Amino acid sequence: MLHVNIKKTFPHFLLDVSFTVEKGITAILGPSGSGKSLTLQCLAGLETPDEGIITLNDRPFFDAGQGVNIKPRERKIGYMFQNYALFPHLTVKQNIAFGLKGKPKAEVEEKVEKMLKNMELERYGDRYPAELSGGQQQRVALARALIIEPDVLLLDEPLSAVDPSMKETLEQQLLTFIDKHFSGVVLLVTHNLEEADRLCDRWIIYHNGSVIQLGAKEEILARPVNVPVARMLGYKNIFPVANIRPVDQGVIAVVGDSELFMKATSPSSFDFVAIHYDHLMFVENECVNTFDYDIVQTKTRMNVVEAILETKHFQLQVKVPRKEWSSFGQTKKKIHLPPEHLFFLEK
Amino acid sequence: MVESLDLFPLFLSLKVATAATVLAALIGIPIAYYLSRSHGKVADFIDALTTLPVILPPTVLGYYLLVLLGRKSIIGEFLEKTFGITIVFTPFGAVLAAFVVAVPFLIKSARAAFASIDPNLIRAAKVLGRSDINIFFVVIFPLSWRGVASGIMLVFARALGDFGATLMVAGNIPNETLTMPVAIYDALLAGNHRLANVLVIIMTSVSVLLLYMMRRIEKRMVRGDGAHAARKH
Repeated sequence: MLHVNIKKTFPHFLLDVSFTVEKGITAILGPSGSGKSLTLQCLAGLETPDEGIITLNDRPFFDAGQGVNIKPRERKIGYMFQNYALFPHLTVKQNIAFGLKGKPKAEVEEKVEKMLKNMELERYGDRYPAELSGGQQQRVALARALIIEPDVLLLDEPLSAVDPSMKETLEQQLLTFIDKHFSGVVLLVTHNLEEADRLCDRWIIYHNGSVIQLGAKEEILARPVNVPVARMLGYKNIFPVANIRPVDQGVIAVVGDSELFMKATSPSSFDFVAIHYDHLMFVENECVNTFDYDIVQTKTRMNVVEAILETKHFQLQVKVPRKEWSSFGQTKKKIHLPPEHLFFLEK
Repeated sequence: MVESLDLFPLFLSLKVATAATVLAALIGIPIAYYLSRSHGKVADFIDALTTLPVILPPTVLGYYLLVLLGRKSIIGEFLEKTFGITIVFTPFGAVLAAFVVAVPFLIKSARAAFASIDPNLIRAAKVLGRSDINIFFVVIFPLSWRGVASGIMLVFARALGDFGATLMVAGNIPNETLTMPVAIYDALLAGNHRLANVLVIIMTSVSVLLLYMMRRIEKRMVRGDGAHAARKH
């Protein structure tokens, strides 16, 4: 278990984050410049927070109050850097053995051989990093991080340097090798939503140096807490709420001139309501939250049609599989916002 | 005919340039390293100060050195009383003048070499348990020595060729402080074209050779380190 609660002030930036993560892969997801990599550097002891604590399984790495600040080399952290940061002047073997300085020669050799085998790099021990493919470089970086038998593994944008055509293969490779050879806490920093979606079940969402939401992926996807998170997750249908009114089994939210019925409890504060485009439904019959619409704009993508619909009161963005788009156009002229999928969020 | 050639200036110049280069390496490399890591106001000021000799006329530099290190100055008096060293109008003066004129070239080139190292390499080494000193010798130096070496050659070439500052600080005392560039000037004034020609050819050859070697080193630097021999670590 890794517990982090730190603050660090810069002239134009404040990092103020707090979270606890358990074993398994957790993503730190956020836009560039939101403090993700800085957090990893604080964890590894490469940067010193101004205040706060960092503990790993009750072992303190940093405690400003107690004056504890363990040196990077004593923290035993596996760190895979952006672009891997392999030493270009050292061979694969020398790179992997880098963290074993001071150990008996026989032990080093044995561990390196074993690691080469684990990472399927046996034939490349004497090559230089520049002579390897992207996937091989990634495995060398992972081997170098894991050989010190770390308690935490930090991955900083592990796939940002990868050619798009290779990306999913290397994602899968990374996941497989980590699953096989590491069982502790893994933190993976990324700004890429799809990557976080494919690699991690738990997310920590960063924005401007703070954690704005954390938890299971599905929960965050279904209920982002505020507009920046919702936008990051691809929400397009976000409406400002003028007022709310509790009713039987739910709440009425006043959006512009219309009223939306929501299966939700009255929130203490309300700024917006949102719904994911997956949950919008085209219907024929009049019922609650159903509106006539006109099509304002359509964009045809590879597999989907993205359309902007206009009702009397607001605009909606929908994504519909291409095959279905052509078939419903004639009959279904109403759009339905299911009450159970509408939710409140802060600005 | 040949016996009448006085080659003292050639040997003095080589000695002075070598001493100035050693001095520049000792002082310039740490400054370059500091500048490559820091970006504050102090670093900017040091950067400006160490670039100044490139911009200022050598005579102005020489004048400053005279004022700073002359026999009546605080530093000059101290050196003379405690160590018996006189700077002005001695070979020491020539070394100092050549050092001041040439050291900016080393600082620029070494700084660029240090700064071109991916900071994540240094972070990686730290996380993998290495001390700062170890990181310098195992990561930073192997990845930047070509840039530093090229800077050292540039310093030597520049120190060898200094005229203005050397003349101001060391003068042109035959068999004592007369370096090659000054000797060429003196030879021309005295109408000794043969001596001037010989010295000019020597100077040109040395400079061309140095520039050629630098080019070779830099070329390998661009090609990368992938192929070079394994290094102990």
